[in-house]
Amino acid sequence: MNGEAERTVAFTVNGSPWRGTVEVRQSLADVLREAVGLTGTHLGCEHGVCGACTVLVDGRPVRSCLMLAVQADGAQILTVEGLAPGPDQLHPLQEAFWNHHALQCGFCTPGMLMTAWALLQEHPQPTRAEIQTWLSGNICRCTGYQNIVEAVEEAAVRMAGEGGRA
Amino acid sequence: MSVLSAPRFVGQRIRRVEDPRFLTGRGRYVADHEPVGTLHVAFLRSPHAHARITRLDPGPAERAAGVVAVLTGQELEAAQIRYAGFAGQPIAPLAVDEVLYVGHPIAAVVAHSRRQAEDAVELIAVDYEPLPAVVDPLAALAEGAPLANSRAASNVCFHLEHQPAEIDQLFQEADLIVRETFRTHRQTAVPMEPRGILATWEPVAGMLTVIGSSQWAHGLRDGLAAALHLSQSKVRVVVPDVGGGFGVKYGIYPEDVAVAYLATRLGRAVKWVSDRIEAMISDFHARDGIHMAEAAFRKDGTYLAIRDRMVSPAGAFMLDGSAAVLETVIGSLVLPGPYKVQAVGFTIDGVLTNTTPLGTYRGVWGPAATWVQEGLLERAAEKLGLDRVQMRLQNMVRKEDFPYHSPTGVVYDPGSYQESLKLAAERIGYADFAREKAEAARQGRLIGLGIAAFIEPTSLGAWQPEPPTVPYESAVVRMEPSGEVLVQVSVNSHGQGHETTIAQLVADVLGVDFSAVAVRFGDTAAAPFGGGTFGSRSITVGGGAALEAATKLREKVLAIASHLLEAAVEDLEIGDGAVAVKGVPARRVTLGEIGRVAYWIPGKMPPGMEMGLEASSRYVPPPMTFSNGCHAVVVEVDPDTGRVKVLRYVVVEDCGTMVNPNIVEGQIVGGVAQGVGAVFLEEMGYSDDGQPWATTLMDYHLPLASDVPTVECLHLETPSSTPGGMKGMGESAMVAAPAALIGAVEDALSPYGVRFQRLPLTPERVWQAIQAASQPK
Amino acid sequence: MKPAPFRYAAPRTLDEALAVLSQHGAEAKVLAGGQSLVPLLNLRLARPELVVDINRVAGLDAVRHEDGWVEIGALVRQWDAERDPLVRSQVPLLAQALGYVAHPQIRARGTLCGSVAHADPAAEIPLVLTTLGGEVVAARAGGSRTLPAEAFFLDLFTTALASDELVTAIRLPAGGFQGTAFCEFSPREGDFALVAVAVALRWDAGGRIQEARVGVSGVGPTARRVVEAEAALAGEEKSRSAAQRAGEAVAAAVHASGDVHASAEYRRHLARVLTERAVVQAMAIGGEGVDAQ
Repeated sequence: MNGEAERTVAFTVNGSPWRGTVEVRQSLADVLREAVGLTGTHLGCEHGVCGACTVLVDGRPVRSCLMLAVQADGAQILTVEGLAPGPDQLHPLQEAFWNHHALQCGFCTPGMLMTAWALLQEHPQPTRAEIQTWLSGNICRCTGYQNIVEAVEEAAVRMAGEGGRA
Repeated sequence: MSVLSAPRFVGQRIRRVEDPRFLTGRGRYVADHEPVGTLHVAFLRSPHAHARITRLDPGPAERAAGVVAVLTGQELEAAQIRYAGFAGQPIAPLAVDEVLYVGHPIAAVVAHSRRQAEDAVELIAVDYEPLPAVVDPLAALAEGAPLANSRAASNVCFHLEHQPAEIDQLFQEADLIVRETFRTHRQTAVPMEPRGILATWEPVAGMLTVIGSSQWAHGLRDGLAAALHLSQSKVRVVVPDVGGGFGVKYGIYPEDVAVAYLATRLGRAVKWVSDRIEAMISDFHARDGIHMAEAAFRKDGTYLAIRDRMVSPAGAFMLDGSAAVLETVIGSLVLPGPYKVQAVGFTIDGVLTNTTPLGTYRGVWGPAATWVQEGLLERAAEKLGLDRVQMRLQNMVRKEDFPYHSPTGVVYDPGSYQESLKLAAERIGYADFAREKAEAARQGRLIGLGIAAFIEPTSLGAWQPEPPTVPYESAVVRMEPSGEVLVQVSVNSHGQGHETTIAQLVADVLGVDFSAVAVRFGDTAAAPFGGGTFGSRSITVGGGAALEAATKLREKVLAIASHLLEAAVEDLEIGDGAVAVKGVPARRVTLGEIGRVAYWIPGKMPPGMEMGLEASSRYVPPPMTFSNGCHAVVVEVDPDTGRVKVLRYVVVEDCGTMVNPNIVEGQIVGGVAQGVGAVFLEEMGYSDDGQPWATTLMDYHLPLASDVPTVECLHLETPSSTPGGMKGMGESAMVAAPAALIGAVEDALSPYGVRFQRLPLTPERVWQAIQAASQPK
Repeated sequence: MKPAPFRYAAPRTLDEALAVLSQHGAEAKVLAGGQSLVPLLNLRLARPELVVDINRVAGLDAVRHEDGWVEIGALVRQWDAERDPLVRSQVPLLAQALGYVAHPQIRARGTLCGSVAHADPAAEIPLVLTTLGGEVVAARAGGSRTLPAEAFFLDLFTTALASDELVTAIRLPAGGFQGTAFCEFSPREGDFALVAVAVALRWDAGGRIQEARVGVSGVGPTARRVVEAEAALAGEEKSRSAAQRAGEAVAAAVHASGDVHASAEYRRHLARVLTERAVVQAMAIGGEGVDAQ
């Protein structure tokens, strides 16, 4: 087993199957952006600190810059483009971010939303401190986080009211 | 101002129209644009702070897989490709024979993928002969210091001095002179989206189109046209969504020039997106200035005069917006802040050092100058045994003093200086704080209260006879045949929400629903010329232009309606998408009907009136419009570790008319977070030999959700004289927060008598300060 | 910032993985969670010719309890261990420490064994392993060996692992301590600690400490136990003063060196403060819960 430089991978992203050949050194983030065409996943540091590239892999929040695309073979991936329940609808988290002015330049927003989604899966009624701890893996330079934390609080309440739909 | 006499949208917390695309992953930043066949660039950068390049052989890289071309400084030099630094001084985009800082670009590799380009960069053969590096700005000033640039005559690259005749006398007569050296540390803005540029070239036609992450589309266009010897009409810059700027995306960078040149040479789409490591060493750095300041007081607390000797590094080059100039010169104009003094003196030295060039970052002059201003006053109050709030109030510019002519020659327009300080002090619990602090002390806890009253000079107009910045902004407001409105403005948004706020302004003037107004910017082929977004001026100056243009357009709409309704203009009112005769709502004509006439039916137009519904404005504001306010904060210091925790934070902001309080508060809270980063976390450090040690986000500590306080925002509204009454405010929190936070930590450490001269206040530095004081006083 | 080229192998069995390592170990890097390796690849600081992805190897993802040990396989994610009932009940110190490992997105992928093999001197899991006297199971083609933590961690980012070996599990003693606590001081939430302290205490019915474990990181090239502090606690009643003496013992015993992040003096001081705090928490006295920082 001398290894390969390229490999064919297949995964499901936002409910649709994708299959393609990638260089093994390509990150999941690069493949999502360049090959799959989903540019909502952003690259802010490529060394696993800023969290802008956070996506859900098999239901868990993952830094897609720190995962090789070949490792996603067979995985179920959810990106920000797949968060809303329908084409002209918003997820309660998206709605709450909008209501609370929880974004300015928008660059960190996809990663924030995906992390918040995972948080609410784990802790449907998080405390403020839990929200701050979870979101501390995602850097926002614009908002000072206050409105993001409040948006996640509101989304938790709304989602609880809707039977915990995430 | 009558245009906003009964606003329906201005002042409302309207959700932003730009948000849905960002929330659904449909924002489009430079990196998201990828025309078919795009080539990718990676740069070879200097690993040395200062060295001569003795050999540069691109051959091995040119032969590497996927490589299309390698560009060197020699080639650009031969083509005389340079971009403009301070006062037009030419800067070579790629080093030719001497590298001046770690990160200095030397060559660019163009390949089919970024991966291949990075592979090939490693193959460029280059030899260096290291030269002595100078990093510390004071060391650079010293006698016999090595030259940061062997072509420079001296490390002093900028000098300005003004010592008014009366200042010596004031210092001689003073009862108290307070002296302190305040030294800010080096930071960089770190927008979450790194810089990037995509350039395409249309051969034969000779047309360059650039998609760039910039705060100033026209500046990038003109800068590239000049550097590449192209006419401005043959360069189009399109600024797409921009993921934050904070000053570092204002102006032109060497990478912009190199990439655009490569597009012209190769006739292909060429793209470069900065990665984070190169961003940390190639984005403008900021601050790192030294203020050796002294202030004179009478024993009753009267503030007489301030003198400041400033030393500010430029880094390897004098950028067009060099920190060595802007940090110091703007600082010198507003050194006394909201306080009245009789004289202001200053001496400024800008110095070259072997580091990344320093430019603009949110607040520019402000964090340092406000620290000087408030730090000197706090020290004076302590020495004179006066209450620090009373002493501030006593010296502040009062309502009856406006317009206030500062001894620096600047005119302050009306504000609420005393009122905002009183409100902040009341809300933070100043009156009761001594008791609260004593109670905490009994529990072994160290708490402290900090205050920073501030002014922010915003919305620059013609602030000098021949201002170095564009002294106006522009807007074109067009009503479409449907009655809907399209606004093109010269200011850019990279998070500020102009698509929303400018629509709020225009909707109110034209009496249409907010949703009927679309605001566009960033494309030099469509947007009018202007200065882009800098210096907290978009809503005042850009919004002012939009208001003026909309007002002109409304006059035309009313004139057409008057003609159609056979009623005098004075008898008409505009609103709800129609013009009606006052008191006779049935006699009305909708804006859609007016649009149809204006675009399609010359015979129904008032005689002699031009067809169409479009108006433009170039709004030149007063030289400066001052917002003001006060930050008050309570912190707790853990004496065992030196960790500081913010317990409560109050901001009183007076930015005149607020168009959208959500956005105002977003700027405040975001600015406070950056202030927390500046004071406690972030440091772009260099070793003595010029190696930067914070080149990743592991090492450069941006504030996280768990680091920032909950901020309570309070508003006062003293309208400005600009259309709409707005004042800029995008930088105010960054201007005030550091001084407030530092003051709070010093107050918490008052039992030890600690005063800080350097930043950041890392836990270790706070702990060391306590240790140095050894015994509580 | 893209990795230099490498080749990639994804063995399906442990034997296959070990065979690859025996042939290419010197120029290979093992990829498990990837949360340390992939940043190094992206930064081109690690430049292996071959990346051996063990994520598809069967049988490495279990947490087992046998013979008084809790054994954690090479593919157990920090996220899972943090929530694992066996870990929480039998090795609560580990569960406490895992909450300090970076951020949820990192823990979702990162493995415990990967952190141990990487041997970052500031990492939490090596500290817990060292403090509790845990073991590392290292396999190579044709056999495996078990090394005590203190023999495994040799220096900064340096372990006793040979290039043809794979860490297949770590083993931690199950139970044995009534009170445990983990305290660390880092610049920000989720950052590597400047200094971290792990404490485990066993006391008798009268509240007298019978056995103490005190481990500290950030004051040397590897995490280490401080037997002087353990001795200072053994036989003592649970008390703040005993905690203070443990802190002083740590400060006296460690030889910190300074770097760009913190001076030697500050590190030593933090070791004292954190030891005192961790011991107090482990004692569950003073009204502070064991989970409080």
